Amino acid sequence: MLFRNTATLVQPLCFFVLIALLFPLSLPAENALLQRIGGGVIWVAAVLATLLSLESMFKPDHRDGVLEQLIISPRSLTTAVLAKSLAHWSATGLVLTLFSPLLSFAFRIPAEQAWVLFISLLIGTPSLTLIGAIGAALTVTLHRGGVLLAIIILPLYIPILIFGAGMVGQSTQGAAIDSQVYALLAIGVLATTLSPFAIAASLRLTID
Amino acid sequence: MQAKHGIAKLPFLQNHCCIAFMSSAARPHQPDTVASLAAVDIRCQRGERTLFSGLELSLERGQCLHIAGANGSGKTTLLRTVCGLRKADEGHVRWQGKDINDNHDFARAVAYLGHKDGLKDALSPAENLQFYQQLDGVLNTTLIDSTLQRMQLLQCADLATVNLSFGQRRRLAFARLLLQRKSLWILDEPFTGIDIAGRDLVEQICLEHLAADGMILLTSHQSLDHSSLASATRVVTL
Repeated sequence: MLFRNTATLVQPLCFFVLIALLFPLSLPAENALLQRIGGGVIWVAAVLATLLSLESMFKPDHRDGVLEQLIISPRSLTTAVLAKSLAHWSATGLVLTLFSPLLSFAFRIPAEQAWVLFISLLIGTPSLTLIGAIGAALTVTLHRGGVLLAIIILPLYIPILIFGAGMVGQSTQGAAIDSQVYALLAIGVLATTLSPFAIAASLRLTID
Repeated sequence: MQAKHGIAKLPFLQNHCCIAFMSSAARPHQPDTVASLAAVDIRCQRGERTLFSGLELSLERGQCLHIAGANGSGKTTLLRTVCGLRKADEGHVRWQGKDINDNHDFARAVAYLGHKDGLKDALSPAENLQFYQQLDGVLNTTLIDSTLQRMQLLQCADLATVNLSFGQRRRLAFARLLLQRKSLWILDEPFTGIDIAGRDLVEQICLEHLAADGMILLTSHQSLDHSSLASATRVVTL
């Protein structure tokens, strides 16, 4: 569905690229500085772009009534929302990850760290989508739920952001990044196994 | 003021529900059978306002129950409670004696057609029907074609659903109902937006569904007295 409607696909991506590009434009043109902050800035941009895309996750289904039908259907709602989250991630988080080397180039990040950034986004963004989906499910019936969604979800994103941006920072200093990788993967496993239940329960709760 | 009104309506409401109960009891008495669908003493409220309480409903195979009532009397809320989309504030809805929450048999038996059609604008009518077939674990394109033909939608089977008129969308929603082959149909204002020929068609489909031992629970502003469904229908007024 996301791929049919190109606007929903392109918007978060443009947002991601533009936010990240504002920094090199507004800061002094020092390669060393850009390199140092690049990983963190790109991670923040990815978090904000994911947040922006969350609104389109359940709202359209709620508007046209497909969500009601999914809730009534004998198929497991938990499986359905897991599938939906992964599909959503493939159109947002995955696309952002694929574009991150381009941004790394804008920040003059060396290839080695760009590669670390790519990996960190690849293993971090699924958790962003899955955890964000809980907030999207809770705010699905609200007309202007965007701000509330941000307030609910951003605090939950902090650990992912710390480990994701930290991973890039560590690699810049030449330190080992194993612990960050494990932490991100652990968060990913927890998000994949637990959040579908939370999403399904939130949807049942909010739809009445 | 509104809450007061709701309470004042209560005895009146229970009166009607007794009638609903009696007419099902008037059928040949079988002591051990449980009603296929039974709402027991349910109460629902919206915000501070109690819409109805102490409501009893029962529905058997081959029966149609028409919920009548003014705007805001809780018809839609009742239907959504009965199909499990929202929980009753008190009381239970039972399907063959078991509560409908987490009841797989009930989920397999119920089809709901609400104010929202449950159709994806970007998909074509045929694709929309395919989606629901896949949800039920079958895919049969000839059946989709014949259903679309029956609902006179075959000429727009490949258009995007966003290009369909309101009436055509309702017809498509009915096509989904036909395709899903569920035994309990819960229909919220099924005749809205459908032309006279379409209404006859929908009534015909409902009659066939009842003849095949199906059950229908519907709301409608229009009286069904002069329709072909009248003889098979009981009316409960909220």
